[in-house]
Amino acid sequence: MNASSDVSESPVPELILFITGNAPRSHRARKNLAEALESLDLESVEPLEIDLMKHPEHTVNYSVFATPALLRTDDSGDVRVLYGDLSDERKLSNFLGEIRSS
Amino acid sequence: MRDMNWKLEKRSTGIPGLDRLTRGGLPEHQATLIVGQAGAGKTVLTLQILAHAIAEGSGGVFVTFEESPEQVRRNADSFSWGEALNGSESWFTIDARMPVGAERSGAFDIDGLLAGIQAKVDQLDRPWVVIDGIDQLLQHQPDQAFAVDQVRQINERCEKSGWTLLLSGKAEGESVSPRHLKGIEYMLPTTLVLTAAMIDRRLHRHLRVAKYRGSSHVPDQVPLIINDDGIQLPYQAVIPDDRVKAGSDRIDTGIARLDSLLDGGPYRGSSTLISGRPGTAKSTLSASFSEAAARRDERTLYLSFDEMESPYVRNLASVGIELQPHIDAGRIRFHSRSAWSGLITEHVLMLQQQIVDFDPHLLVIDPISALLKAAGCEGPRAATERILEFARNRGITTVLTSLTGDGDREDESTAVHVSTIADTWIVLDYNERGGERNRSLSIVKSRGSAHSNQQRELTLSSNGIDLADVYEYGTEVLMGTARLQKEIEERVAVRSRKLEHEQRRQELERRIEQAKNEAERLATEIELEDRSFDEASRMDREYLERMKSRRDPARREKKRGEDE
Repeated sequence: MNASSDVSESPVPELILFITGNAPRSHRARKNLAEALESLDLESVEPLEIDLMKHPEHTVNYSVFATPALLRTDDSGDVRVLYGDLSDERKLSNFLGEIRSS
Repeated sequence: MRDMNWKLEKRSTGIPGLDRLTRGGLPEHQATLIVGQAGAGKTVLTLQILAHAIAEGSGGVFVTFEESPEQVRRNADSFSWGEALNGSESWFTIDARMPVGAERSGAFDIDGLLAGIQAKVDQLDRPWVVIDGIDQLLQHQPDQAFAVDQVRQINERCEKSGWTLLLSGKAEGESVSPRHLKGIEYMLPTTLVLTAAMIDRRLHRHLRVAKYRGSSHVPDQVPLIINDDGIQLPYQAVIPDDRVKAGSDRIDTGIARLDSLLDGGPYRGSSTLISGRPGTAKSTLSASFSEAAARRDERTLYLSFDEMESPYVRNLASVGIELQPHIDAGRIRFHSRSAWSGLITEHVLMLQQQIVDFDPHLLVIDPISALLKAAGCEGPRAATERILEFARNRGITTVLTSLTGDGDREDESTAVHVSTIADTWIVLDYNERGGERNRSLSIVKSRGSAHSNQQRELTLSSNGIDLADVYEYGTEVLMGTARLQKEIEERVAVRSRKLEHEQRRQELERRIEQAKNEAERLATEIELEDRSFDEASRMDREYLERMKSRRDPARREKKRGEDE
């Protein structure tokens, strides 16, 4: 997890939020994520949002079958997933931990 | 996406027994829940249905929540239909396993899953969708009600998008709903329950159609076997279309006198039980049926639970029954099997496959009572009934032997209950008398035939089997040497009675002769009597004359003068 030694051009781990259309849980997840990023002083982090209703092929490409899902890829290429509407603040902040603001 | 059509349409699963249980297959455009313990055959069932659909020109998607797609394909590859399935491009696997270390934060939706499936099946006609192990995903819902609701969502999607769906999940104990998904069976129109239980250290699998909304179905729990061809339901064998009606055609048993006792022989397509203690020639009699069939140029499937082929054939040759030429010519197929080696249902399945493969006219199972030794909770009675029904529907004549113990001649037959099912029941036995054992045969019952219930002696010689009339002696029947001895005694007695009669007749004739002689003698006596009486009378008269003339001299003188 200690990736500070060789800082690359994109030091921010990629965050992708998978949603499905206008599903209430997708809305809640988007809101919960924004709030968490704000409280962690990570407003600069712009999560990529993928709507699986518009791009169902990404379901298989990213192996995301439950939505909403937050996907985090760190520098070493490790992928971690957090499923759900992100209503569990503690889990969400743990998941977002060590992301550094750019 | 499809026409509004509320009528229930069914799709064949390609598993004849399952199509029979469900009276035509699983509901099209609906979801079928398949619940079962680990190892009960859920995944195999879904793969086999998919393989059939693909062979028929349909396609599908297999969504796996437990195994990797590679494991799924390897699993399929172990079956006869696996190669074709894995070689087909009409289906896809979707690896929907949760990543290791995935975490949850709140409730989630499955719309992404459904969208992903839809993307794959869009180009397929009447697709099958398998979702294997959905409980692996839905168990992570913080509220079980969400999970149940999402199963309903899946079902509605089937109706809307025209998927025929198989949804499998692990069951706990006797429950008909997967773990963490209590109540979903109410959401889905059809439920199949698979069970796997260890009984006597053997795995017994069963299948049950627990629910089929809008359709009649067989609700029984039926035994399920998994072999190289995948899932088989041997007790739900399909009746052939050209099922044979009971005829009045009789076949010969190879023993002319037995045929005549049976009013011309057993009916074609009937079942004959031959029961008896060890060594009463049950196998020999069965072999006689087989040889007779072979001589009619008919095929016999001979299933032996006791013996290997070669010693068996050799032993029969010693009593004049030559099976080897018929085996070589393909008229008799000998199949030797150990009863211990499998479950009863496996034996039944193997036999059904042999019958379909060889299409015999005659089926011999020697002995059917060996099924008692085979493991299985179905019991030998049900197995025997299935076998007989299977054979009867194909017009196959069956001969079953049954071993009985030394004490009770009916015990094992009763246990298997063949005696009540079989059309003809021949009991073989031996009687011990005067230091020898003699085999006997009696026909206990024979449906639809006038038959003799008289016990006969069964004789074996190098010329084959024959029956001999027994000697009835009071309430007993005598056989063997005792019969011969009795026959000789009888002949002696007849001769002596004849001699006696001769003697008595001669005696009487002699006495008649004597009486005749006596009569003659008496007649002579009468004659003599008469003659002496006449003489006496004449002398009396002369004496009287002389006395008169002496008293009357004149008369005497005159007489003298006259005389001079």
